[in-house]
Amino acid sequence: MYIQDTTQLMAMLHFQPMHIPDGYLSPLTCLIGYAVALFFWWRGSVALRSRLNQRMVPLLALMAAFSFVIMMFNVPLPGGTTGHAVGGTLAAIVLGPWAAMVSVSIALLIQALFFGDGGLLAYGINVMNMAVIIPFLGYFIYRTISGNSVLTSTRRVVAAFIAGYLALTISSLVAGTEFGLQPLLFHAADGTPLYAPFPLSLSIPAMVIPHMAVASIIEGLATALVVAYLQRANLPILELAGGQATDITALGLRQLVPMWIGMAILVILTPLGLLASGTAWGEWGQDELAQVLGTKAIPQGISQAFGGIAPLPDYSVPGLGEVPGYVMSAVVGVLLTAILILGVGYLLSRRAAPQKS
Amino acid sequence: MTGMQRETLFEIEQVVFSYDQKNLALNGVSLEIFAGERLAILGSNGSGKSTLLKLMDGLYFAQQGEIRYRGTRLTSELLNQENFAFGFRRAVSLVFQDSDVQLFSPSVWDEVAFAPLQLDLAPAEVEARVAEALGGLNITTLRDRAPHRLSGGEKKKVAIASVLSLRPEIWLLDEPTAGLDPRSQSWLIDFIQERWRQGNTIVTATHDLDVLDDIADRVIVFNEMHRVEAMGTVAEILSDEELLVRCNLAHRHRHYHFDDVVHEHHHLHQGEHQHTHLE
Amino acid sequence: MAKSNNAIAGAVERTLAEVTASIENNIFAEEMTHKPGMLQGLDPRAKILMFLALLLAISLSRSLPVLLGLYIFSLLLAWLSQVPLGFFIKRVWLFMPFFTGIIAIPALFSFITPGNPLLVLWSNPLLVITDRGVMTAAFLLLRVGASVSMGILLVLTTPWNALLKALSVLRVPKVFILTLGMTYRYIYLLLHTANDMFLARKSRIVGRMDSAGERRWIAASMGGLLSRSFDLSNDVYLAMLSRGYRGEARVAHTFAFTTRDWLWTAVALAVAVVAIYLGR
Repeated sequence: MYIQDTTQLMAMLHFQPMHIPDGYLSPLTCLIGYAVALFFWWRGSVALRSRLNQRMVPLLALMAAFSFVIMMFNVPLPGGTTGHAVGGTLAAIVLGPWAAMVSVSIALLIQALFFGDGGLLAYGINVMNMAVIIPFLGYFIYRTISGNSVLTSTRRVVAAFIAGYLALTISSLVAGTEFGLQPLLFHAADGTPLYAPFPLSLSIPAMVIPHMAVASIIEGLATALVVAYLQRANLPILELAGGQATDITALGLRQLVPMWIGMAILVILTPLGLLASGTAWGEWGQDELAQVLGTKAIPQGISQAFGGIAPLPDYSVPGLGEVPGYVMSAVVGVLLTAILILGVGYLLSRRAAPQKS
Repeated sequence: MTGMQRETLFEIEQVVFSYDQKNLALNGVSLEIFAGERLAILGSNGSGKSTLLKLMDGLYFAQQGEIRYRGTRLTSELLNQENFAFGFRRAVSLVFQDSDVQLFSPSVWDEVAFAPLQLDLAPAEVEARVAEALGGLNITTLRDRAPHRLSGGEKKKVAIASVLSLRPEIWLLDEPTAGLDPRSQSWLIDFIQERWRQGNTIVTATHDLDVLDDIADRVIVFNEMHRVEAMGTVAEILSDEELLVRCNLAHRHRHYHFDDVVHEHHHLHQGEHQHTHLE
Repeated sequence: MAKSNNAIAGAVERTLAEVTASIENNIFAEEMTHKPGMLQGLDPRAKILMFLALLLAISLSRSLPVLLGLYIFSLLLAWLSQVPLGFFIKRVWLFMPFFTGIIAIPALFSFITPGNPLLVLWSNPLLVITDRGVMTAAFLLLRVGASVSMGILLVLTTPWNALLKALSVLRVPKVFILTLGMTYRYIYLLLHTANDMFLARKSRIVGRMDSAGERRWIAASMGGLLSRSFDLSNDVYLAMLSRGYRGEARVAHTFAFTTRDWLWTAVALAVAVVAIYLGR
């Protein structure tokens, strides 16, 4: 009576792996997510109050409703696949990154409550991945490639595609990193992963490759096609962001430089992590696997588990020497990411402050 | 009516307004509105009557000419002044044509409480005003409903309640009967008459000739050039067919009946048609 | 080629189905929020605190029995709140963590989670389910399932508007609560607009459109919806202004914390604390 299976099935089908549910991430990870999200909301509300003032509420509300609705649209790809766009880059192109950040955050909150798309504790992380990284990165790439080209130029359509594509891909890379860090950092005493179980060597390709192959193309296409449509049908909307360009260019290009550098560092760092885990993973040849499993038949073998994931120095498994180093580098990576994002936010806020007065 | 000179609420003088610098919405409009009167602004779609209401409500401002409210010229600066805005918003209220625009809150209660909350009333007073407005319109049962789940007639009632809780003196109604079923329409007409009897001023923008007699004493007719074409009593305006056809408020068309008699009649949307035999 | 073309052409229909589905979604209808159950009778602020504590306990637990206990507690709460258990369990396990199920399966095997072999499925190449693999998958499934249950229970028993307003208990600024309420209200309008756009198109289309055409059409409807959203935001702003909005968000609620609210908040907090202690 309450459940209409097709309805529920539809709701389920529109599950997106970018919307991380509760249970995949440790409370600490969620906390970091909230810290980042809170910081950006706070900066965002300051930035928007001076720019949009009273009009802020209805504009953000309608744009959030719009973001929510277009996340449900299926975009067909050549070859028969269809998928959903996040729309974060599109929102940023039209509204500027701060307003897009708030709008997408609101859309995500309603999705989390409404469909259970994304957890409540993981909401902060989801905001970071989809409402912060995508709009800011997408906006920056779009503005950089567009340069001073006229609003109706094809260059802007291309820029929109690349921006949408890269922003979602990087976002999926960050999500993959968050997943992959879980088994490294949060596991039971015997090494059993407590949250997402896959190591970086799996989680990153598992998130990034499908995105690069499908979801990011959808995001890019949707962004580009809507920009092309607006060029034809409703230029004033594109001009709206263009009209703000005079003050947003300053914010958009100059102030986002640290963000851009941060992202570049992240991108460079991640393959390093991949490499590190890759070697560990590479060691698990079939022979060794069998061998290890053989040794594991011994009862107390549980605690001695597998070198790759064993956490505590007590369990001196052969070849563990690299492991603490790896865990350390991962911890440093997390801290670095957090400091980076907070630092960038701080820089942004310091530069935004004099404009306000 | 008592022989005393009635107070002039709005003096509108040679007002010009356009949304996009190209197409004029108002092209030198002048008129006056007196306290306690029932005025209809009659015009076809896009003639500018809706825009005029928004200017009178202090949402947009005249680009040429001026609008004076109780002798004070309405400007954007003035409406940004806390104390003027406070009194003005409380006295003058606009019921939008599209209820979906006016009903922006997640529940009926919130919608009706919105205006009293902006007046900084105490929570108990806000509650009392909401209860009074909902009770007055017999929609207390809708209290917790979401606006998007209401029917067209219910939406219009909630939109009116959301303004009623301000207890305004001047009502600007934009096409209030558009899209309403007959029962809701007659309810609305009763409501307008009741407000008028309570001493409120009622300004209704409409193109519905049917309801004119019930909601207005005086009529101002807009033409399609976005200017005032005529002014007069309801009877005067309705009897001037040429005027109505000229302003795209009634149309003349020919009927070819079975008996090969051609009838031409003006659609005045008034039930009875005046048929003219064309030989 | 023909086959893939059919799949492509289905995109509009699928979107239409999803949009319609979400309009008719039973959470939108709020049927269960009006039942005279336990949770329905509580102050939404109390519920937010209760469920946050419980979610945190689920998130922190390192013990499977404790996770199971918390899940059973969610069933108890559902039962007390007249949420049909069959519906509740089905809704959580059949659909929500479906994706999680797929993710959990590889974790069973030795190539992801090494451990003592429980079941050898294949010897060459080696495919072995390990004890720790089972533990890992169980942790993931149970944790996700319990979290989703709590989240759904909160939403099922609390009207949307009340839930949004109750966020003030978490010190969410009023301007966000006002914006959230407005977003919620206009999602419905935009969904209907989108639905009309799709229906209008469906009624006109005879044959199937090619992929590129379909893509352009989807983009055009996104763009059209964007334009409509902009226009609406302008008009809504005027409507707010007209009723005295001066840029300061004011949101009122009529919640009242009663003894029952304190009691249940205390119960939930106690359960959470005990669970965190036992599951540490």
